[in-house]
Amino acid sequence: MTTPTPQDYERRIAALEQRLHAFEGRLAPPTAGRMNTAFFERYGLVFAWILLILVIGYFKPDQMFSWNSYAAMLGSNAMIVVLTLGLIIPLTTGDFDLSVASTMALSSMIIAVLNVRMGWSIEGAIFMALLAGLAVGAINAFFIIWFGIHSLIVTLGVGYFINGVILWISGSNVISGVSNDLVNVVILTRFLGVPLSFWYAGILTAIIWYIFQHTALGRRLLFVGRGREVARLSGVNVVRMRAGALIASGGIAALAGVLYTGMRGSADPSSALAFLLPAFAAAFLGSTTLYPGRFNAPGAFVAVYFLSTGIMGLNFLGAQSFVQNLFYGGGLIVAVSISQLLRKRRPMD
Amino acid sequence: MKYLLSAATLAVLASPALADMDAAKALVDQFTALPAFVAPGDAFDAKACMADKTMFVIPLTNANPFNAAISAGMQQAAEIVGFELRAWETQMDPTQWIQGMNTAVAEGYDLIDLQGGIPAEMLAPQIGEAQAAGVKVTATHLWDATTQTTAEFMDGAANTDYVTFGKIIAAWAIVQSGGKVNALVVGPDEIPPTAPLRDAIINYLAENCPDCKSTYINVPVNDWATLGQSAVQNALLADPSINYVLPVYDSMAQFIAPAIQIAGSSAKIVSYNGTPFVLDMMRDGDIVEMVVGESLGWVGMAGVDANMRVLCDLPKVTLLNTPAYIFTDANVATAGTPANYNDGYGDTFISGFKTLWGIE
Repeated sequence: MTTPTPQDYERRIAALEQRLHAFEGRLAPPTAGRMNTAFFERYGLVFAWILLILVIGYFKPDQMFSWNSYAAMLGSNAMIVVLTLGLIIPLTTGDFDLSVASTMALSSMIIAVLNVRMGWSIEGAIFMALLAGLAVGAINAFFIIWFGIHSLIVTLGVGYFINGVILWISGSNVISGVSNDLVNVVILTRFLGVPLSFWYAGILTAIIWYIFQHTALGRRLLFVGRGREVARLSGVNVVRMRAGALIASGGIAALAGVLYTGMRGSADPSSALAFLLPAFAAAFLGSTTLYPGRFNAPGAFVAVYFLSTGIMGLNFLGAQSFVQNLFYGGGLIVAVSISQLLRKRRPMD
Repeated sequence: MKYLLSAATLAVLASPALADMDAAKALVDQFTALPAFVAPGDAFDAKACMADKTMFVIPLTNANPFNAAISAGMQQAAEIVGFELRAWETQMDPTQWIQGMNTAVAEGYDLIDLQGGIPAEMLAPQIGEAQAAGVKVTATHLWDATTQTTAEFMDGAANTDYVTFGKIIAAWAIVQSGGKVNALVVGPDEIPPTAPLRDAIINYLAENCPDCKSTYINVPVNDWATLGQSAVQNALLADPSINYVLPVYDSMAQFIAPAIQIAGSSAKIVSYNGTPFVLDMMRDGDIVEMVVGESLGWVGMAGVDANMRVLCDLPKVTLLNTPAYIFTDANVATAGTPANYNDGYGDTFISGFKTLWGIE
């Protein structure tokens, strides 16, 4: 018996992908309006986004149709895009990472402690923060894969542990005075009027989209998520894929922490934790658009900005803060439900 | 002549009403001076009356340095007088507050102090139990001294004059802008001191400055990071003439400062608390213009003073004697580098309390 070559694996994966498409096709029998439905399913959220802008713009045209409004909104939500991008990688391989927001907060606090309290250069502090993020991902992977514990439990526990570490290293304090060099390259410097943070998020979105859609690695990640046993029998190194996804998630969450610190010039022990739900909301909402049924980077990108455009519009309309929560939660449920109706209520991944 | 009079009347009516600048300046000047110690009540022999008494302090959360600093001030007071004071550790968890109360009752403490924001109403059953066991229950730095009333079931409370803090913030903005304030006031309505602070700022502007206006945004604490920044950012984009953002608590500045930068606004932040990192932001940047703070070590000692009077059956003190103090670029260096909760206010209160308690 000969050892399978990488080409053999690729062939098997391509065959599996074809079977998967055929299987999905059988679950949703073709109808007269199938093409239209597929089109709306794919671009529904984008249309909803445009509609949202037009409807709110009707009432508040000066603010809603001003480029400044979008420049500010795009820049200030960039770290949520990055956090969501980190999240969708393990979600694709079938693992939940509930520690991403804690990792983001840890990264932010490490930068502040090293740069402000210990006098490190900002570059050195960022390097250590990213390293810490990768380490958190590796710890998650170790407990999830080696011990075989469900990812929800491990990442919940690790997240709480990290929260304690953050309080410990910060003395429960907010630390301000992080190098202005970081603030400059995150929000103060603009390209086309939009803070650089947005462009970083855009570049990362493009990279992850390319990996997911155009590389064998992306296909392997997807197969691991669709069926670990089938993927393993097809020659995919499931352990490596899952561990890699969790480590990438930790690293990208730490990158979100770098942007968060650069946006404020300070770090606090807890505020980043509030981004966990928005990131999950955007990840799931994003999975209903552009590449429906898959966690995908451009979908996540659109979802974050769809939700933040809604919040911005509600602010312009003078809505009270509870309305924003209604929009965030309700918008997610309604959008995903409509998408499911278009998909003939096929179970989501 | 008739036309002349009419014209003069019209001119008077048409001329813009002026802000009460003198009153605003006087208020700002009063709290720019270094705080002086004013005895909250009559002197008494603290050592003698506290000889066999103990105190148990439950802070809102030890994760907030604000509460930790007040607890430290309380412990310093107990060491000076020479009685046992135990500071419980909590992390914003009601079960830990209840556990603290049960521990204090079980271990026979004489007084439990709910320190720095624990909503006493939430613990009413436990407070009743403690009182039935002979333990007195008080609160430090929870209610406003003038607009809120201490819950009837409490044995005492040392309250804070939040209204004066709010007035100082508004007066500062009036003085600095020459009576042309367009303020965005921001606060979390669910926190009890927000209402007196918020209303004092908005009312002072409305009553003393005809050319000033204000808009209020409620942002719950849990949403400060996610919705607070965008709410401020969008308000600044919607009305670029806003020249002051007045968060009722200065910790919000960490989310408001980037909102001001991203929106390209030149608005300034003026707020209340004197939180160290905000003083650092003031020292290192240009967005935080003024913070009115209070010495938390002083708050702790004043709280213990009020509690000792409850335990010693002396006339109750209901107002913390901790004065407000204005920090600006001119004096922020006195708060330390990095800033801390106690420096900058002077230490007259330590000798003041020692004299009051008959120790010096």
